[in-house]
Amino acid sequence: MRSILLNIAFAAYFLAMVFYFIEMFFRHKALPLLARVFALCAVVSLAAYTVMRWQIAGRPPFSNMFESLVLFALAIGLALLFVDLRYKVKNVSSLVALLGLLALGYASFLDKEITPLLPALKSNWLTIHVLTCFIGYAALTVGFVSGLVILFKKGEIATLDTVSYKIIAFGFLFLTLGIVTGAVWANYAWGTYWSWDPKETWSLITWFIYAIYLHTRFVKGWKGRKAAWLAVIGFLAMLFTYFGVNYLLSGLHSYA
Amino acid sequence: MSMKQTNVWKFFSSVKLAIWLLAIIAVVSLIGTFIAQNEEPAFYITRYGQYGYSALLKTGLTNLYGSWWFILLLISLSLNLTVCLLNRLSLKGRQLGTLICHISILVILLGALIGMLFGQKGYVKINKAQEAGAFETDRGQVNLGFSVRLDDFIYNENIDPKEKLLVYPHTQEGPDLKTSSSFGVGVLAEIPTEIGSEREIANTGYKVRILRYMPDFVMDTSTKEVSNRSAKANNPAIEVELKGKDGALQEKFWVFARYPDMHQSKTDKFNFIYNWVGRRPKDFISKVTVIKNGRKMISRDIRVNFPLKFEGYAFFQASYDTEGLNWTGLKVVNDPGVGIVYLGFILFILGLSIRFYISPFMRISQK
Repeated sequence: MRSILLNIAFAAYFLAMVFYFIEMFFRHKALPLLARVFALCAVVSLAAYTVMRWQIAGRPPFSNMFESLVLFALAIGLALLFVDLRYKVKNVSSLVALLGLLALGYASFLDKEITPLLPALKSNWLTIHVLTCFIGYAALTVGFVSGLVILFKKGEIATLDTVSYKIIAFGFLFLTLGIVTGAVWANYAWGTYWSWDPKETWSLITWFIYAIYLHTRFVKGWKGRKAAWLAVIGFLAMLFTYFGVNYLLSGLHSYA
Repeated sequence: MSMKQTNVWKFFSSVKLAIWLLAIIAVVSLIGTFIAQNEEPAFYITRYGQYGYSALLKTGLTNLYGSWWFILLLISLSLNLTVCLLNRLSLKGRQLGTLICHISILVILLGALIGMLFGQKGYVKINKAQEAGAFETDRGQVNLGFSVRLDDFIYNENIDPKEKLLVYPHTQEGPDLKTSSSFGVGVLAEIPTEIGSEREIANTGYKVRILRYMPDFVMDTSTKEVSNRSAKANNPAIEVELKGKDGALQEKFWVFARYPDMHQSKTDKFNFIYNWVGRRPKDFISKVTVIKNGRKMISRDIRVNFPLKFEGYAFFQASYDTEGLNWTGLKVVNDPGVGIVYLGFILFILGLSIRFYISPFMRISQK
């Protein structure tokens, strides 16, 4: 039952991406509608999967790489729908859908078995820390895609620039919440709110890059292409924080 | 010339400086994630050679985040923040959120400084039924003013669902457990290895029950006495009871995960395989009592994520005796700056919310 939901989500994500992509080249009323319906379908399937897994496992399904990737794909789907409905930037939607698809695709290669939580993860902070981090990550992903499109686009980029800024501001708030809840949790688990471990340090590096984005924007007037570069660099740091630290570095944080 | 006109003041009032400092701190912090921090000299010598290690040591790269130049960077950022705050920002509506954000960073750094200067952190190892009244820190031993007694240490494991006792007909070879191809083929019964678990073996009329589990089985060859040597799964074994068709007891014997040919069943009917996949820790619990002036004050369970707090000290479950479960290692912390850091966190989130959501919303609704 559960893997059917994942398969539906994957197919729906794929179709959403396809329709958003077609919409970039052809105008037809049905196209955006279909894309959104399939995106919503993907989000609902993933949400249903998450709820079911939570019930069966008896604990929040946010404890390893597989579970976090499913959450990431879900959050990206939500961000995608929000930005699409609010700002209607076609070029961005198809690429964001692709990234959500890739996250889900990667998840499909991982072990889906439900394992009990290690003692260090048995805390109420697990839910809030992981949720805030991934809502942040999803928003910053959309910010990255907007930035990327700005860099490749010739012509008017004002709307894209606004979308990029607003979603990055939102992402920055949630990244901050993620870091803060992580610090408070660390204080309960390990007696210290900050130990400069690779995961913590890289999340701070990511945070600094977006802080630089905001400062250069407000005080130096860096908009459009210049800001877009920072959005891309920030996303690369975010990717390293999420994946690089786990696979390339070692430390306390090697769960997800 | 007033203070605000000095070059030093002007230098620190620059946002460009802030951006540069953020970038430099980011890059430097990055280096510290690739060069392991605070490891033993041998660790660095193995990886970087003797000269490499000396170079790292001299430049402070082995303890980067505590080095003088990193702290200098943080101090510069704090000065930069302070001067900018005094110069540029005011309580005017639009700038309120920004002001709160920047003040909150200073609050966080202040809390961290207080913790660094006045906090204590260290470690204490307590044996079962014994008490400790002090703990070891970098700066020497610290007396608590009370003692903590370890009443008991409990270690629970999760049994993996794949851990099973497999029963095959005697004539069949057990599966090659290194490949999973023959796994389960021809198996008569799969018994979960929880103590007390009982199952019938297909239609044979025989029943199997799990009596005991030992992670590190050892038998005294002279007395034939069996015992568990340690808490480490060096030789996982389960004691099995096999009952015959009429319900009468037939025999009890041990089956070994690592020695599938050695099960001691004398009945020739079956082949028993103990499929071991490893067990994950479920809980580490230190059951302690705090004693002050000869009186028992409180008794608590210390687990990961649930420290004991008493008179400003917090005790965290950190390590334990993996062999005999006879001692617990607790991390002890007294950090007077934590509350201030948390206040800084709350202020920052508040400031950010005001800057991006509340102020703009108020401006829109005023129009």
